[in-house]
Amino acid sequence: MRAGLRGMGPLLAPAAILLALLIVLAALRRGVFTLDELNTDAAAAMTLILVATGETIVILRGGIDLSVGGILSLATAIAATRGAAGPLEMAGWAVLILVIGAVVGMLNGALISVLELQPFLVTLATWSIVGGTALIVLPSEGGAVPGWWVDAGAGTFAGLSLAVWSLAALLLWWAWFRRTRLAASIRAAGSNERSAFLCGVALGRMNVAAYGLSGLFAALGGLFLTSQTGSGSPTVGNDFVLPAVAAVVIGGTVLSGGRGGLAGSAVGAFILTIIGNVVFVLHISSYWQPVVAGLILVLSVLATSLGELAMARRDAAL
Amino acid sequence: MSGKWRVWRSTLLAYAGALLIFALTSLYSPGFAAPSHLRSLIVVSAFTGIVAVGQTLVIIGGGIDLSVPWVLNSAAILVTLIADGANTPLVWAVPLIVAGGALVGAVNGAGIAWAGIPPIIMTLSTNTILQGLLLVATGGSPPAMTPHVLQVMATGRAGPIPVILLIWLALAAAATLLLGRTVLGRYLYALGTARMVAEFSGVPVRQVILSAYAISGATAAFTGVLLTGYSGQAYLGMGDPYLFTSIAAVAIGGASILGGNGTYLGTIAGALVLTILTGLLPIFRLSNGALLVVYGVVILLTVSLATPAVQTMLGRLGARRS
Amino acid sequence: MSLLQATGITKRFGGIVALKSVAFEARAGEVHAVLGENGAGKSTFIQILSGAIAADEGSLSLRGQPFAPKNPREAERAGIAAVFQELSLVPDLTVAENIWFRREPLTWFGTVDRRELLRRTAWLLGELGLTKIAPDRAVRHLSVAERQVVEIAKALAGDPDVLILDEATSALPPQEVDWLLAIARKRADAGKLVLYISHRLAEVRRVAERMTVLRNGETVGTRTTANLSDDEIVTMMLGRRLDRLYPERRVTRTARVALQVEGLTVGHRLRGVDFSLHEGEILGVAGLQGHGQRELFLALFGATRSQGRISVWGKPTVIRDPHHALSAGVGMALLPEDRRLQGLLLSKSVRENLILAILPRIARHGLLDLRREGELVADAVRRLQVKVSSPEQLAGTLSGGNQQKVVLAKLLATQARILLFYDPTRGVDVGTKAEIFVLMRDLAAQGYAILFYSTDLPELTHLADRVAVLSYGRVAAVLEGQAIDEEAILRATLAERQAA
Repeated sequence: MRAGLRGMGPLLAPAAILLALLIVLAALRRGVFTLDELNTDAAAAMTLILVATGETIVILRGGIDLSVGGILSLATAIAATRGAAGPLEMAGWAVLILVIGAVVGMLNGALISVLELQPFLVTLATWSIVGGTALIVLPSEGGAVPGWWVDAGAGTFAGLSLAVWSLAALLLWWAWFRRTRLAASIRAAGSNERSAFLCGVALGRMNVAAYGLSGLFAALGGLFLTSQTGSGSPTVGNDFVLPAVAAVVIGGTVLSGGRGGLAGSAVGAFILTIIGNVVFVLHISSYWQPVVAGLILVLSVLATSLGELAMARRDAAL
Repeated sequence: MSGKWRVWRSTLLAYAGALLIFALTSLYSPGFAAPSHLRSLIVVSAFTGIVAVGQTLVIIGGGIDLSVPWVLNSAAILVTLIADGANTPLVWAVPLIVAGGALVGAVNGAGIAWAGIPPIIMTLSTNTILQGLLLVATGGSPPAMTPHVLQVMATGRAGPIPVILLIWLALAAAATLLLGRTVLGRYLYALGTARMVAEFSGVPVRQVILSAYAISGATAAFTGVLLTGYSGQAYLGMGDPYLFTSIAAVAIGGASILGGNGTYLGTIAGALVLTILTGLLPIFRLSNGALLVVYGVVILLTVSLATPAVQTMLGRLGARRS
Repeated sequence: MSLLQATGITKRFGGIVALKSVAFEARAGEVHAVLGENGAGKSTFIQILSGAIAADEGSLSLRGQPFAPKNPREAERAGIAAVFQELSLVPDLTVAENIWFRREPLTWFGTVDRRELLRRTAWLLGELGLTKIAPDRAVRHLSVAERQVVEIAKALAGDPDVLILDEATSALPPQEVDWLLAIARKRADAGKLVLYISHRLAEVRRVAERMTVLRNGETVGTRTTANLSDDEIVTMMLGRRLDRLYPERRVTRTARVALQVEGLTVGHRLRGVDFSLHEGEILGVAGLQGHGQRELFLALFGATRSQGRISVWGKPTVIRDPHHALSAGVGMALLPEDRRLQGLLLSKSVRENLILAILPRIARHGLLDLRREGELVADAVRRLQVKVSSPEQLAGTLSGGNQQKVVLAKLLATQARILLFYDPTRGVDVGTKAEIFVLMRDLAAQGYAILFYSTDLPELTHLADRVAVLSYGRVAAVLEGQAIDEEAILRATLAERQAA
């Protein structure tokens, strides 16, 4: 129990930032703390949250995944060329897209383990390869997903949008996943790879699993995105890579691995998404959005490391 | 096998690779090797090459600079804004802007060295912040008038040799000298190998980090100025491709992305490889997408060849043959 | 009846032969010690037995059946559990999560059953008498001694038939050492086998019936402990009689104070330490691991923040960082605790390592003078007799003793006059140890001031002019001259416990 509550510590800073943003928003606009707002914001943030989920897992492992950009683009590209598909066929394509994402991820994991290559480089290369493939499949933005797909994306059930339900499902899944042995192995390897090996963790298989999951979630993010936009884009994924990493870091997960979780990353993704709303409502140029995002990113990292220092000093007694 | 030989081996491999692709393509399409085409290939490589001077130093030191795109773009836009089409302001504007790039780099370095912020995050933040600030300043539409002198400098020639190439050569010599024969160079290699060991051996670690990122900011800014001259205008997003190419050039050149080894000569080879590959586009009628796939595969291949696992395999093969 | 047997075990690392056709045999119901000096191959042999690495040649058998574990997990499943010198704990997991890592009790969802996990851990810790350790605390918050204890508990959790303890007491205070030795005997009496690797002969005598000695990667012999004298054991370990490990005592201390420290404090670990170090003196620092020595040395070197007052050669100084410490104005050098992580660039040449601390000195007009570099490097290699095939040899390929010499040479080249030696002979073979001791006394005679921490009490008693004993972050006693002996040091180590 104690460990669980203590684990909430790193969430305080990002939660506080999110709350602050929402309060600023509420002061200048109506209807912030309503269901409608939740539905809209969740829909806007969900793609990033999905990509950040995979990124969280990989960063916990102590690595990084840049190829999510390419996978997301490819997912939308393939989906957008199925304009006339019926539900069954589309479901089949969706499964295929997820499999492709997972396979690319597993390939990343394999290359990292077998050839002992650096995650940054490997995923940079696969980002290029998969992104290039997306361009081949869909040379320019457009295409169309089935109409009913978009309708589903905009639909609500019991007053909550698909995005909110998906988020709930995602958080539930994470609550289960983080208690599995695989998750413990991933955290262990990120915390101290040597120790994990000495304890018998099959690092190769674990890398394949972690990066495979990352690819899977990136593909899932792509599918979700098409349900919102109705079309595909061969380059849209590029705009999600670094924000996903940012969301994870803002959420309190350390880049070196071993500590952190999805709740923080989701909060981080929300923060990045809502900054746009705040900038809009303050009537300042939307170009200030990246500036605020960059500042929050730096400050979050500082806050996290200060928090760690304080914890370390407190526990340094014999 | 001595460490020195291993370093040179990666560099040689990179050049061999560049030569190979070039030779194969020239066989397929003779126009590829024409002097004018060769010249333009090298000139285009120069831009990646100059940005990669800073990136090489930073990566050898164990970091990475993701702020290159918007430092470059800021410099490009600022130089056209300040000069406003005239030539004389360039005399003080260009050095000032390059210094500005160095300042941004110094901020990166300070955040990384003193505040302990991971390089990916720090440089990503400055990149994003610069992007926002620039967009705010230009309102989304960049000025178009590039001073004539810049254009001459970027596209002109001294005899048969393009001016840009001379500039690149000068910077290449400086970079090689810095890495190979100065105290700062040795400090960078030590830092990139094991930061704690460097620190305990008296290396002024924080100052070294600051210097590396400051130089990177300066070269990125300088490239922005040159690029404006070359393309005749400054536009938004012109710096984006250089993030990938600067990092890829360093990696293909044989340096470890973790730091501690590599040479600028290798980076040159990497830049050449990337440009030659781009040149394949019209020849083999590749789409943009196919080119990206080729980039990725080439990076994987070259990086795989440099890993210890593969090296030992190659070593064993070589031994068996002799 | 043999429980564990090894025949013809050979292992090579690059060009170095670590083990040469080693034969070994141990029985159920005994505590069997494995002895050998540093570099003899003990650790390599144990790593092979426990599955961490594979032998190149030879075979193992367990309970009469062939045994070839591919990783420590397999060895564990077969009933062999090891407590290594390098701990295999994961810092960000809790004590409970670490102990049961990879064999956690699961719920039918496939998730870890937290409640059962904590219950089992509490039971295990209770069984072992370790009630002071909280099961749900993250390991990164534990002290070195606590981590060692958790590592031992982890090995015992699976009730292994063979328990291997590799220098498991180096971080433990005397009470915990007694606890561990009692557990070893209890297991042996219950019919299990315990392999006890240690260089502390006193402990070996208390607990092991038989011992096997390794030397230079070969088995020297297996004997009954009680039948051998200490001298005979040492002769087996070294292959010759140990005439003189320590140099003659000499008075080299002068009245001039090199380093004056008042109220030095680092967090909770170092709580106000006062002492003075004289020119020409070797001042020993004693104390159990985790009692502030590391913080003391790092603070003096400027590698960690501290409070208090420091005067160097009479001048009050604030040491900002190691770069400042090594600079001409201060002249203080640290020989660090872990030469592989803090002392050497393993992937770089000996030359690059030797010259690292004095690079500005060989630069002319901004460029490095390569000829001067070559001279200085050759000088350093000669002065300390570093055994290298060429200065271009990679530091990572040197033996432990030679690696330590390279780090020493690097520091001496800086002409720092105050030397901080942190456990300088750890993992160093006896020949090099003797050389280092002679060097230390010579340096003191030349006017260097040496602060010297060692976990080996005989070293302190034979080499130090005075010994400051640290206990719970404070100086418990300063022993001088005749008063320096192992008992006095141990007594002082425990003294502060009441006062703390």
